[in-house]
Amino acid sequence: MRNSIAIIIAILVLVISFLSFTNAPFVARSYSAVKNGLSSGFGPVLSVASKPLDAIGGVFDSYFNLVGAKKENAELKEKYERIYVENQKLVETERENVRLRKLLEFSQKKPNTMMAAGVIGEDLKNWFRCIIIDKGRKQNVREKMPVVTPRGIVGQVVEVDLWHAKVMVLNDTNSSIDVNVEGKNTRGLLEGTGQNTVKLKYVIKNDDIEIGDKLVTSGKDGIYPKGIPAGIVITANKNKAGIFADIDVMPFNNFRQLDEVLLIKK
Amino acid sequence: MKTTVYIIIGILLLVLEAVISPHVSLDVLRPELGMPILLYVTFFLGASSGLIAALSIGLVEEGLSAAPDGSLLFVSICIYLIAVAMRRKFFIDSKYSFAYLSSASVIAQSFLFLALSFFARGEARGVVSILFYTLPNAIVTGFVAIILFSFIEYLNNTVLERN
Repeated sequence: MRNSIAIIIAILVLVISFLSFTNAPFVARSYSAVKNGLSSGFGPVLSVASKPLDAIGGVFDSYFNLVGAKKENAELKEKYERIYVENQKLVETERENVRLRKLLEFSQKKPNTMMAAGVIGEDLKNWFRCIIIDKGRKQNVREKMPVVTPRGIVGQVVEVDLWHAKVMVLNDTNSSIDVNVEGKNTRGLLEGTGQNTVKLKYVIKNDDIEIGDKLVTSGKDGIYPKGIPAGIVITANKNKAGIFADIDVMPFNNFRQLDEVLLIKK
Repeated sequence: MKTTVYIIIGILLLVLEAVISPHVSLDVLRPELGMPILLYVTFFLGASSGLIAALSIGLVEEGLSAAPDGSLLFVSICIYLIAVAMRRKFFIDSKYSFAYLSSASVIAQSFLFLALSFFARGEARGVVSILFYTLPNAIVTGFVAIILFSFIEYLNNTVLERN
């Protein structure tokens, strides 16, 4: 009898989870609320669990009166990263300035504000490319916020709970970013493959693109600001069938070695 | 009591896995730590305890993953129902048969997730990525399941069943 009740409950949960997966309006909203509540619940556990790993790595560094220097170093590092990203954007703005000077209008973009966050975890499933950061709703992190490092784009925030947020990384199979080839008019969609390299899609074969070209965000997808480095073209095959070229891109970031990232507040 | 202890162990292992993952550079070394606990509880403690384990592990996995809402809970409940159906037919007599079962559950989990994505949303984007990792995940999980089984049996003998 007890087994039958358990199986009936299991089937009910199965139906609810299925409806949530298919985005049935009421169920999806309620399920998301329950999930967020639970995630917020074990958020502190995640933070506590991630501390010893950082601590073990830092024991030897901090041994010889380096506590003050280490703190200062971290502050300087954060400052450097902010300036570096701003500088990257400045270079692109300059290029844009040159291009548009002959035209009439030029409006200086309002500089974005950055927020630093630490990477404390990674997706449990290796099917998805997602990192967990130590900033959440409490620090005003919102979904679809772009995440970058001084090297270039990392991804976007996809889920936020009270203490943490999940960031979908550039090479996730669900990720696509509108990019331009730097210094050229070629535009395409950078799509994740689940592997280390990503694909640049919808670039017509006679478009101007070659190995070594640097890709930057176009700003046209409404998520990422313009001019953030995304990756470098490593193969460009124009001999395959169809109208589009087959292009592989290596992202500038190594997503397995991220310690800190910067969130761009919109 | 036992159910609670096993579920807490399962949740802690999942949280630890999420925290340790960024420090391990090999992506294929990612065992599925929730499934062995779910199977152990369902096979040895009954269907009611198994349901609690499936619910807890499914929800925690979703909390620590970017998987779409409902997907991992759906998959863990499916695995639970399969385990309930197999309880009287499959006899776990050693840590090795438990390891085989855990590996098989990881393969089943991948295919269930793919089937769910394909039939419910018509999505087949991550197929290659999921299939690529299915076998390595199953193998690693099998080895980890041997250790987990021994650890749980040790706990049973020393603490949980001493009286």
